[in-house]
Parts: sequence; structure tokens; C-alpha cells
Amino acid sequence: MKIRVILADDEELARRVLREHLQTEQDIEVIAECSNGFEAVKAVNEMKPDVVFLDVQMPKLDGFEAVELIDDAAAVVFVTAFDQYAMRAFDAAAVDYLLKPYSSKRFRESLDRVRARLREAQPSQLSPDLKMAARAPGDYLERIVVKDGPKIHVIPVNKLDYAEAQDDYVALRSEGRVWLKQQTISNLEAGLDPRKFLRLHRSYLVNVERISRIDANTKDTWLAILTDGTRIPVSRSGYARFREIAGIGP
Amino acid sequence: MHPILRSWRRFGIWMAAWIPVGFLLILVVRLSGRLTFSEALFVMTPAVIVMAFVCLSPYYVCRSLPLKTASSEKIVVQHTAAALILTGGLLLVARFAASVLTPSFNELDARFSAAVPMLALVVLMIYFVSVALHYAALELESSRQSEILAREAQLKALKAQVNPHFLFNSLNSISALTTLDATQAREMCVRLADFLRTSLRLGERVTVSFAEELALTRMYLDVEQVRFGGKLRMKQQIDAACSDCEIPALLIQPLVENAVKHGIAMMAEGGEIAMSGCRDHDHLRFSISNPFDPEAPSTGRNGLGLRNIRDRLESRYGSSARMDIKVEERLYSVTLTLPVRPHR
Repeated sequence: MKIRVILADDEELARRVLREHLQTEQDIEVIAECSNGFEAVKAVNEMKPDVVFLDVQMPKLDGFEAVELIDDAAAVVFVTAFDQYAMRAFDAAAVDYLLKPYSSKRFRESLDRVRARLREAQPSQLSPDLKMAARAPGDYLERIVVKDGPKIHVIPVNKLDYAEAQDDYVALRSEGRVWLKQQTISNLEAGLDPRKFLRLHRSYLVNVERISRIDANTKDTWLAILTDGTRIPVSRSGYARFREIAGIGP
Repeated sequence: MHPILRSWRRFGIWMAAWIPVGFLLILVVRLSGRLTFSEALFVMTPAVIVMAFVCLSPYYVCRSLPLKTASSEKIVVQHTAAALILTGGLLLVARFAASVLTPSFNELDARFSAAVPMLALVVLMIYFVSVALHYAALELESSRQSEILAREAQLKALKAQVNPHFLFNSLNSISALTTLDATQAREMCVRLADFLRTSLRLGERVTVSFAEELALTRMYLDVEQVRFGGKLRMKQQIDAACSDCEIPALLIQPLVENAVKHGIAMMAEGGEIAMSGCRDHDHLRFSISNPFDPEAPSTGRNGLGLRNIRDRLESRYGSSARMDIKVEERLYSVTLTLPVRPHR
């Protein structure tokens, strides 16, 4: 059976180079081409390809956002002119990271890695919690992408009120609605600016700007009252974090 | 040469400043030596003139003994030695004047001798004040110098360098075209070379004509056109009167690059970049607008390029140039208003 491939790049010429390199490979079949991140997510989730070649900078969703929303089964190769994303690509468990322009030798090496990955019965996924770990200091998420049935919803981080851990998911509260995303709360926390989001509790990550006040509850617990009246439990260490960021001494 | 001696104006001011100092010395001699005012005036005038020059000499000593690096003993010893020698010399001059004038004034020499200790003290103090003033002036000068250097370095850095990602993406387009359409691949190489060459040439200059900058912009867009094809559309309405206006080099090209990178490239269906330019009596106004997707993923370094342009305008024109940014629902526009030489 042939290896099924999807190409995603907003530049037609870039897709044509990929296609040309793949043409000579007998075991490979290109099943779709996409020109933005939305299309890529949709095509990958519907057609379940073995491999997806992804540009990083694309309209709608960038390559990293797209990877978060596609099934883990597909092997991902990032193709980009930017070399500063290599670490993130590695942590997103990409099979390879191709820098434009690339030679046909380099492209074939990449294909060899893809074939090797596909031969492995169990894809050697890195822990998703590691995905965010290599983020450059000061380089925080500006938006969070979530799947909403067949649709994709983008939450700008400043519109996120708080996140609540729910088993394997986080519930994201934004503009009066709740979105579920398969992610751990620690993983989400690692991607967000620690000056803007506070882990007030093991299960709660709260947008600092939404906190209206913090009241004492029992001896060792507190309650954060958000601007819309929502009450969030605050643990002892969460309270310490709040005091630190609010500039209140210990 | 001492900076004060480099211009007649500064020299004049320096000498004028010595008139009150001279009167002070005359007063010292008159009071402590019981000389009449005219006697003191005659005795001290040559000495004060000599002193005006002598008090320029710390410049050289101060420069060879910078406060930051020279040891403090060395500074104290050398300046004190210089002060003593110069004060001694100065007293000799006054003494000489007094002895020359003795025949005309009764026992002037003897009466002057009584004034010597006090005079020596005051002269010494004036010399030390001049040393301190020289150190202060040198410090001011060096801080101003480093400020100028820092500003120049900053301006150089701000002048947009050719964006490497633009290069890599263009090279990738060429690599695609080589097998698809060899003629167009060659054409693309030529366009890229034209743009790079012109960009380097203009980048060496401080100002260029508006027409030159616009031509560079055109070359840039010619290259991007190959990458983006039908996605990138252009509209341009530039008054002929703008052509010979002098503007800072590489001011407009980065604006166009911004419009492509953050605007058109992030629109799935592409869009139109509109540029317009007009000129009234002594101002040039240039506008560029592009559609953008407010929900596009971050393209990084947002606003940095624009801030650079604002800083460059500010450092060159101060408040007489402006950059206005307008964000409508899906349209981003930047307008530059620069002062230009009036029509002849």
C-alpha cells in the first residue's frame, strides 16, 4: 500500500517543489494539497494521511496550531524558511524539519525518516507536556486553538477567563462559553505568560486581569472572585503566587 | 589645539570672562598690598592676560590624566606641580611689571611684595577651579560623544536590513521554477539581484529621492509577485511632484514589506496593497494600506518594523514628521508626513 501524503503550504510554488520531489517516489501518493491551516486540519482529519508536510507560517492557523488539532497518527514534517522553530518542531514530535530551500538529497533523507517512523508499530511520541517546554523565554502563546466538532475555534489568550482541569481535558472559559481541549493544565500553563495567568489551584489557571478580589474561605483556603462573579478555589501555594505577582510581601 | 582657541567667538567669550576675574585679582592686590586702583590695574593687567592663557593649559594635563583611569595620587601630584609652577611664573610676571613700574610709582615694588602671599593663594585657587571645569567639560564632551555614537549605531541598526526569510523564500521559489519554468527562474534571479543590489546601494546613503525609494519598492514587489502570484495585487497613485523629494533611505520599502508579510501573506485569498503619494508646498504625504485578517496567527515581531520607522523619523525630523497608523475593521493603513524642501 502506498504512503498517503498531504501537502500544506500557502505558496503554490512551494507545494509544487514538494510535489516534484515526491513524484519520483514510487511508494508515495499525494492525496491533497492545502493552502492554509484550516484546510490542512480538515483534510488531515478527514483523509487520515500517513504523512503531512506542513509550512509553519500560513494564513488562518500556523503549522504548530494545526499540529495540535490533527490526529497524532500522521507523521509531520515541517517545511519552512525560518530556522528558529526547530526546537518547537522537535518538541511537537515532528519527524523532520526541512529548511527552504532544500536539496533533493536532504528531501530524500527526510522521506527515509518518514518511512522509518511509519514502520514503527507504535509511533515514538514524545510526551505532549514536553511540547511547550522548549519555548523561547518571552515567547508565549497568543492564541489557543480548539476543535469544536468539525469546526476550529481560536481563543485569543486575553479573552480566556480561566482554565479548569477535567481529567484528560482542560475546560477553557472565554466570552461566556466553555471549550474543551485535550491537554493537561500544566501543559497549557507552560505555554502562557506567567505574569498574565496564575495557577491559583491545582485545577485552576486564571487570567490575572479577571481577578477582582481574593477572600479568605477556611483556614488554609481562599476564594478568588472574578470580575463576572465566578468563584474559584485558591490553594495555599496559589495564594502565595498571587501575593507575589500582586507585589504583596510574604 | 584647545577647543576654545579653535574659534574666534569662543576665544572672545573666554577673554571676556576674565574681565571680572581680573578685577577680583586687582582688588586682592589693592587691598592686601595697599596699592591704588590704577597701580593695581597696571601691575596686574599683563599677569591676568597671561593667566587667561595659562588657565587653558589644564586641558592637556586633564586629557592625559583621565579621572576614570589615572591613579588619584598621580592626578593630585601632577596638577599640584603644574599649579605651583604656573603660579610662580605668573607672580614673576606681576613682579616684573611692578619693578618696571616702580620708577613711576612711589615704592610700588615694596608695597606689592606685601600682596604676594594672598595673590599666590587666589591664583592657585583659580587655577584649580579651571582644572575642575576642564574635567567637567571633558566629561560632558565624552558623554555627548558616546550618545552620538550610540545614536548612529542605533540608526544604522534601524535601517531595515534585507530580511533573510524573504531571501530564503525567494530562493525556494527559484528552486521550484528551475524545473517548472527555466525562463521564469532566470527572470526571478535577475529580479532578486536587482532588488538586492539597489537595496545595498541605497542603504549606504542617508537620504534618497522618493523616486529611487519607490523604484526599490517596485523591485521588491516584483520578487514577491512571483511567490504570491494572483494573491498579491497592487494599486498605486503617486503624484509626479513627489519624485524629487528627499527622504531617508529605506523608509518606504519596509512599510511595503510589512504590508505583504503581515497583511497579504496571511490572507487565504490575498488582497490589494494601495499606495498613494502627494506633495504640497513643503510636505510629502505617503500612504500605504493593506487588508489584513484580524484573526490570523501571529507572524512574530509585530510592530517592531513600524516602531523603527517612527524612531528614525523622530531622530531625523523631531516633531515635524508624523507617522499615523489607522486600523479599520480589516484594513491597515500607514501614512507618513515628512517635511521636504519647498518648491523652487
